[in-house]
Amino acid sequence: MNKDLSKVRNIGISAHIDSGKTTLTERILFYTNRIHAIHEVRGKDGVGATMDSMELERERGITIQSAATHCTWKNIDINIIDTPGHVDFTVEVERALRVLDGAVLILDSVAGVQSQSITVNRQMTRYNVPRIAFINKCDRTGANPYKVTGMLRDKLDLNAHLVQMPIGLEANLQGMVDLILMKAVYFDGDNGENIRMEEIPAEMADEAAERREALLEEVSMYSEELMEALLEGSDNIDPALIYSAIRRGTIDLEFTPVMMGSAYKNKGVQLLLEAVELFLPSPTDITNNALDLNDGEKEFAVTNNPEDPLIMLAFKLEDGRYGQLTYVRTYQGELHKGDTVINSRTGKKVRVGRLCRMHSDEMEEIDECGSGDIVALFGVDCASGDTFTTEGINVSMTSMHIPEPVISLAIVPADNKAQVNMSKALNRFTKEDPTFKTFVDHETGETIISGMGELHLEVYIERMKREYQAEVAVGAPQVAYRETISQHADFNYTHKKQTGGSGQFGRVAGFMEPMEEGDYEFVDKIVGGSIPREFISSCDKGFQKSMIKGALCGAPIVGVRCTVNDGSFHAVDSSDVAFQLASAGAFREGYMKAKPTIMEPIMKVAVEVPSEFQGPVMGSINQRRGMIIGTNEDGSYSVIEAEVPLSEMFGYSTNLRSLTQGKAEFTMEFANFKPVPKSVGDELIKKYEEERKNG
Amino acid sequence: MGSQLNEKAPLHALDISASTQDPSIGLVIARAGLGKTAILVQFALDNMLQGNKVLHVAIGAGVEKTRTWYEDLLRTINGEDIEEIPGIMKQRMIMTFQESSFSKALLAERFNDLVDQDIFSPDCLIIDDYDFENCSRSDLEELIAFIKERNLQMAWFSATSHREDDRKSASGVPAPCNEIEDLFNNVLFISPAEKEITLDILKSDSSKVKVGTSLHLDPSTMLIKKG
Ligand SMILES: Nc1nc2c(ncn2[C@@H]2O[C@H](COP(=O)(O)OP(=O)(O)O)[C@@H](O)[C@H]2O)c(=O)[nH]1
Repeated sequence: MNKDLSKVRNIGISAHIDSGKTTLTERILFYTNRIHAIHEVRGKDGVGATMDSMELERERGITIQSAATHCTWKNIDINIIDTPGHVDFTVEVERALRVLDGAVLILDSVAGVQSQSITVNRQMTRYNVPRIAFINKCDRTGANPYKVTGMLRDKLDLNAHLVQMPIGLEANLQGMVDLILMKAVYFDGDNGENIRMEEIPAEMADEAAERREALLEEVSMYSEELMEALLEGSDNIDPALIYSAIRRGTIDLEFTPVMMGSAYKNKGVQLLLEAVELFLPSPTDITNNALDLNDGEKEFAVTNNPEDPLIMLAFKLEDGRYGQLTYVRTYQGELHKGDTVINSRTGKKVRVGRLCRMHSDEMEEIDECGSGDIVALFGVDCASGDTFTTEGINVSMTSMHIPEPVISLAIVPADNKAQVNMSKALNRFTKEDPTFKTFVDHETGETIISGMGELHLEVYIERMKREYQAEVAVGAPQVAYRETISQHADFNYTHKKQTGGSGQFGRVAGFMEPMEEGDYEFVDKIVGGSIPREFISSCDKGFQKSMIKGALCGAPIVGVRCTVNDGSFHAVDSSDVAFQLASAGAFREGYMKAKPTIMEPIMKVAVEVPSEFQGPVMGSINQRRGMIIGTNEDGSYSVIEAEVPLSEMFGYSTNLRSLTQGKAEFTMEFANFKPVPKSVGDELIKKYEEERKNG
Repeated sequence: MGSQLNEKAPLHALDISASTQDPSIGLVIARAGLGKTAILVQFALDNMLQGNKVLHVAIGAGVEKTRTWYEDLLRTINGEDIEEIPGIMKQRMIMTFQESSFSKALLAERFNDLVDQDIFSPDCLIIDDYDFENCSRSDLEELIAFIKERNLQMAWFSATSHREDDRKSASGVPAPCNEIEDLFNNVLFISPAEKEITLDILKSDSSKVKVGTSLHLDPSTMLIKKG
């Protein structure tokens, strides 16, 4: 199988809620001939869009699953990867961004850049995803694609330029001028399926010429050939030259072409598809890196070569109408039906019995897949984020580092049946999503779930009820604090016990110090056998156990490097247990001298609010110990960006609603851990002391 | 905090550290793309490092872009990561406005919101890319009166001049500020020269500074060139 990878596009479509992502996706699938009727979103026929396969998503109006849908536009294979809209789903978002090569950012022609557009754009920048902007809803009253393009530049810092011009706007939207071909484009037929190209209306010709001139000047930066051609005048330039310049700028993340239309009125969607082909990268246009697990996770570029060993990332698990499906993207090598592959995380071999390509309305069984492909595998047991390879290489597409949860809550099943179902559900969810964790608190016997935000947990609780019929009572959400140390401290501790028969003896000396990256490190500097070899790992274990619960507020300790450089032992009384206990004692001793502090999760918050409410909203953020980073105001709307401790964000949506008559929206995303102020720390310490006294 | 900006930063040659009585009102003027924002951000950073609070108003730019200026500048000229300096992020707030929506009245309203609710009390104000072309003298007078009334220690504006407009005031301040230079007690003019940037001191309120001095800056760092 030797496929032309230049004809493959793996794309995501991202938007602020209600900008028309579902509608646009539906239209794309219609024009690419896979859906035979257009359904209104949340429409009368109740069929709904194909992408939002989960009931729950539809109800909340958010897209959680990142299924991949395959379609064909002319001779281009397009895989649409559904990017989760909500940032609480950190790992899911990141994984979706990982497997796509380019993206379409949808904006509402009236509202423009909204709070979620900012967050999504930030994530795409972080993952170097080239993007096209599509200004949707140009049929709405107040539509202004020029203004929105300005917002893309000002608010998102994108070098955004229109490659089209609207012909009529609002209710009078007729079509658009293609500034590259210099033609007017109209969409005829019941569903806009017949494209009609005409001369540009006379009254628009001058403006169109001016805009084209400006566009060409801008994009000539990315192509010397185009720059030279421009010197001869801009009239007879080969469009291919312009396309390749825009493509270069877009792929290098220096330029963002802006398209427009109305998904609802069937205008402009096909041109967007053309743009996906023309401007967004194919799998070979960008570098994807894998991590060499035999060489300290060192990055190397995958080859896309079908002859090379297989590298394939499982980015999504789905329990759907077809049973368990694992969505994978292939980065090099080939996979054939019946092949055996290795899961690089577990080392286990798995035979792939069936593979298929998911179209919007059907599943197509296929015999093989290769580089750049996105397909689904049947009956493969794995977790989301696992990498599959053929024998002989040991690589992973994703780092094994998973962000620690920032919030947790207790769940209690309603009855026995719920108990059984709850376990099933939890088992499933933790496989799908590594940031969702669960454990039983040994002190209370309660089941605790933890994750990346309030909504993240809420969605899983709903899924438990709906998909698994597990009714559970839910406790109040708790912020996941951390403890850490702020300075170097020495320790030297002797554990000695003489009761009856054999005693326990061990002495551990050394120091602990803060470390910036990573949670824990153990350094063995023992010389001359003052602690025998076989007990070194006991010291390591002793420290690690001490870090599970900090002495200040019972939170896990992170960011500590422990070095042992001295000790003593007893020929008879020293043992594994004795050295573990000695290390635990040493840790306790050092910890309190190392200026321990409590840290709390800080969230990056963006609130979008009508300007008249800006004052009260800033006040509300301030009251929540938030730090306002900046505000952006464009007449009627303001976006306030701030960093706020997660513990202060509970109930914020209710607060915001009442402050703004329901006219504000906010999004938040985990930013980092920061030390708590003294008053908050004291409070937490007091609470923990009381708990221990009573518990 | 007590640390300071790289000693080659031109502001050290200008003696414009927050004055005690009257606020000092400054202007940086240049054609587009010569580094006005960089000079303003240097002033702001220096103030922040000294423990003063800076309100950075950017007209026509976004929050993210403005933040990046601070990060990049501090990294290039001081080799420091702004996020790593304890407490410094609390010394700055960024307010960005779309060109058409900015006015003195709106700024005053926002400013008062911040101060009255005890959210942020600026000592220093930066107004980057104030629209001198479309604002009248009285608009500016009102704005400056407001700055004085709120007891700010200093305020710096930037203005964009244009190649094709060669009007100039007696002390050499180009259009669009040629007729309002009397409202400022410090005026700096940036112009390109071969492989360097020239910063001319057209006006100064310090007795230590000689008006008419030209500083030669390295365009990649906006620091005074060695030698
Ligand atoms: N006027 C107008 N409405 C649209 C357009 N596209 C989508 N909508 C409507 O906007 C609402 C939200 O659309 P939807 O596709 O669900 O947005 P999503 O939340 O981004 O998936 C629905 O009521 C759509 O019918 C458009 O181009 N013009």
